[in-house]
Amino acid sequence: MPVDMQRIRELPALVRNPREMARHARSNVELWANILVIGGAIAFMLWQGAGFAVIVGTVFAIWAILSVSLNLVVGFTGLLSVGHIGFFGVGAYTMAILTSSPEYEQLRTEAIPTFGWPFFAALPVCALLAGLAAIIVGIVFNRFRDDIFVLVSFGFAIISFNVFLNWRAVTRGAFGIHEIARPEIGDWRFDGDVEFLLLCLAFLAVVMLISWFVVSSSFGRVLTAIREDEQAIEVFGYQATHYKLAVWVISAMMAGIAGGLFSSWTTFIDPNSFILLESVLLVAIVILGGLATIWGSLLGAMAFVLLEEGMRFIPFLPTEYIGQARQVVLGILLVLLMLFRPQGLVGRYRL
Amino acid sequence: MTSSRSGQTDYVLQTEAISKHFGAVRAVDELTLAIPRQGTTSIVGPNGSGKSTLVNLLSGVLPLDGGMVIIDGAGLRVVKAHETPDHGLTRTFQEVRLFDQITVWDNIMVVLTERRLFPALFERARPATRQKARDILEQVGMWDKRDSLAQDLSYGQRKLVEIGRALAMNVNTYLMDEPFAGLFPQMIERVKAIMKQMRTDGHTIVFISHNMEIVRELSDRIIVLDSGALLAAGEVEPVLNSEEVIEAYLGA
Amino acid sequence: MSSQRETARGFPARFNIPGTRVLALVLATAVVAYLAWKIGQSPPQALQFAFNGIAVGAVYALLAMGFTLVYSTVWFFDLYYGAAAALGAYGVFYLRTATALGSRADVNNVYVNAVFAAVVGGVVAWVLYTLLHPRLRGRFTPNTIGVASGLLGGGAGAYTGIVLAFPENLHLTLSPAIGVVVAAAAIVVPFWAVQTFVPNIRLSRFTAIAGLPAVVIGAWCGYLTAGAPGAGLYLSWAVSCLLAGCVGLALYRGLYMYMRERARSPLIMLVASLGILLAVAAFIVIVFEAAPRPLPTAFGSETWKIAGARIKGFNIFAIGVALAGFAILWLLLKQTSFGRAVRAIGDDEEVSKVVGINTTVIIAGVFFIGAMYAALAGILTGHDTAVQPRMGLLLLLKGWIASVVGGIGNLYGAIVGGFVLGVVEQFGIWDLAGEWKDAIAFVLLILFLSFWPQGLLPRR
Repeated sequence: MPVDMQRIRELPALVRNPREMARHARSNVELWANILVIGGAIAFMLWQGAGFAVIVGTVFAIWAILSVSLNLVVGFTGLLSVGHIGFFGVGAYTMAILTSSPEYEQLRTEAIPTFGWPFFAALPVCALLAGLAAIIVGIVFNRFRDDIFVLVSFGFAIISFNVFLNWRAVTRGAFGIHEIARPEIGDWRFDGDVEFLLLCLAFLAVVMLISWFVVSSSFGRVLTAIREDEQAIEVFGYQATHYKLAVWVISAMMAGIAGGLFSSWTTFIDPNSFILLESVLLVAIVILGGLATIWGSLLGAMAFVLLEEGMRFIPFLPTEYIGQARQVVLGILLVLLMLFRPQGLVGRYRL
Repeated sequence: MTSSRSGQTDYVLQTEAISKHFGAVRAVDELTLAIPRQGTTSIVGPNGSGKSTLVNLLSGVLPLDGGMVIIDGAGLRVVKAHETPDHGLTRTFQEVRLFDQITVWDNIMVVLTERRLFPALFERARPATRQKARDILEQVGMWDKRDSLAQDLSYGQRKLVEIGRALAMNVNTYLMDEPFAGLFPQMIERVKAIMKQMRTDGHTIVFISHNMEIVRELSDRIIVLDSGALLAAGEVEPVLNSEEVIEAYLGA
Repeated sequence: MSSQRETARGFPARFNIPGTRVLALVLATAVVAYLAWKIGQSPPQALQFAFNGIAVGAVYALLAMGFTLVYSTVWFFDLYYGAAAALGAYGVFYLRTATALGSRADVNNVYVNAVFAAVVGGVVAWVLYTLLHPRLRGRFTPNTIGVASGLLGGGAGAYTGIVLAFPENLHLTLSPAIGVVVAAAAIVVPFWAVQTFVPNIRLSRFTAIAGLPAVVIGAWCGYLTAGAPGAGLYLSWAVSCLLAGCVGLALYRGLYMYMRERARSPLIMLVASLGILLAVAAFIVIVFEAAPRPLPTAFGSETWKIAGARIKGFNIFAIGVALAGFAILWLLLKQTSFGRAVRAIGDDEEVSKVVGINTTVIIAGVFFIGAMYAALAGILTGHDTAVQPRMGLLLLLKGWIASVVGGIGNLYGAIVGGFVLGVVEQFGIWDLAGEWKDAIAFVLLILFLSFWPQGLLPRR
């Protein structure tokens, strides 16, 4: 997608046609966005070395899985969901509880149920439970569209946060769950950061592949039609609610996988990882990168991670304000994008 | 969807005392009519006489407040929009409702593909389907525009694509809500030609129009609505020349 | 046809699956019966919950009124509204840090002052220009009017800067402004009153007669204010409300107006305002840190006992503020030409433009008023509990829910919805921990949207 040879060949003809020129300049934004973000990533890696790449890479991979999955809902189906973090949280807590070891939990005062499952047995369950939650939520939410959908999806984020915080018998509330196991196959533990990075990237690849499979099928084309005009597509024999529910569940299952990876990576989770703000940031990433493209979500996640790392090098900015400064920049970026480029950096769809 | 259960009844579309109210306004009021199989039927009437509402009710876009719709012999008290193609019915919209931010090509392809959820997930466009989409686009003369987004087309082109999208459904009955409104004469000729072709192919066409010349030229039968009720129906000339119709149009 | 537009904005049709409404009715009856039983068990506790609910509901009602006003005019969800609530509350904290924290903490920041001074200056200049230009077009060139408004706006900005720079002397710095405002009110309000009896009187003629007493009254009020350092806290309320309102107006003029001219979809507007909310929330954290902070104690910190239930004096004040806010908005919307214009724009903006309503000015006013209501609600919440940067989003959502429950676009619905939401939240946590109340609010919302999407009092 980044460089289109055909376009370069058509250049002389373009120069003579002002309308095509304008179009060409617009698509150049995509080119520049790609160069800027990828170039920035490479520059950072060269500058900071491999250790940096490994840590940042894992963060990027998890955000990227989330944003690719959310793009299925926001970009391809046109449902602006701000509640995606809830499914991420379901996945994370499922992983934490299923892999928690009895020996460790006995030492705790407020013990949670323990299962001691291995990582790879728990991960499918993460996806399944997130999908189950999505079915229940989706059946309720299926009736809502546009602004009201945004509102109720805010509601889902808040309700799920409340559940994580207050269902102490399972989540141990604000104390969080410690000592979450790293994955292992036989004797090979994914202890090192590099192994975990590779694991995350592998899952990212799988998620991207599934997303691509979904959106390039007839199913994907119907999703885009639902996004444009739900009533019209019904007239042509499609039951829009079924399609919306299906893509909602697929997307939630991907988020569940991201949650499982996340809790295994940090080895500690508490409800503060699943606050509404994170969800809003996720939506910002998806829109920043570009709606209705898988590549855009990757780009958005990468830009988001780089933005944080880049902030570390602003001389007069204290370290504790980096997150906030990034949020300010992201907010302003969102405003500018909505003004001048509502489809995001490389997007194919304007809200 | 390509059902052709012809010969069951003489009428492809019937309504029995259907009603639709918007607050105190009775857009369609206890309307009973019948549209015979084959040929072209036009629906005319002054503004606000319930023509578009009628089409919306028949295609399930608006829920019925009362009465029954009989499509191809099947009596329905609730018309579900997604089931209308199974009854051999499709439509176009008055305000063109294309899928704006996808290409013309996808606009046509989307109605040619699998309806069921899981098969759709595993379906890629087959050569036969592509050929069919190509045929349709060539028929309406929009093959050159296949890669543009629907929102970038001109109004007339959008109308043509919408008619093409309906044609792609390949059903018995086409409801066309003002297919000629806002078109240049040249475009009108094109749409007329397409509709004549459809008629020769044996489809039933029901269309709404304000243009009496086109109505006279194209339609075999005519239905006149006024204030949500049936004013007259039958052959074109007698109906259009009847006193009550003239009065309704020229106004009391 | 407004009903069609609301459906288009994502309001669902009612559930029409047979049985679901019956089920909902049965469930609702069960809940009500259970609550009645609980109330019978311990009436004082129930009364306590009711008091708490109404107290919280007052804040929600204020939020919902402003929110529904903005939404039913421009038909997009403006998330800046939440930021306005946080800005209002933090404005009071900013101006009163010394009394809040018991010491002269160094929060006062010259950059922040400059930003707000610039915003106020710009807003005042624009408002003056747009108001004066059509009236003085014949007598002065547009350039003259522009320069004059620019100078006046600059003056207003400088004045704002001075006010913000000396927060401990608000009573002194604001006394001239109070004097002018009171003097103006002393002319205009009697003028309206007299106008009903003397139909043909003109404001200029009236001013000549009533000018002197008005000026005296104004000067006296200014003098009183200058001599009352204790008024600082309450003056800071007004200042931060006005600041939040100015930011809202500036956002409309600087951003939303362009987007609306480009016919951006409501969702794009929503995302843009989401960006503003993110930026403002983070900005607040940078300036004030994330920890919850107390606001200085206002009056009414004593509690009263009524029939075994306690209620804070301040909560009664909050309820009073909500009712007063409702009364003011009712007067403004139902009794003035401004209100009719707002209504017309909400129904159809294009037509309003055609019939000669200056939509830009009216919508700007709506944003200003809406943000002021949000800021007021934020201040009341801050005094009731504490201020924290995240309060904005949560208050916004509560106002949003309350206005949907009450019926979006309906002023009466907003105040009813606010109190209903507050009471339901409080009774909902009777058997649960208090942390669940946000979840309860959203469950109420989803139930309402599913079974009663038009709300309690639908917009006609």
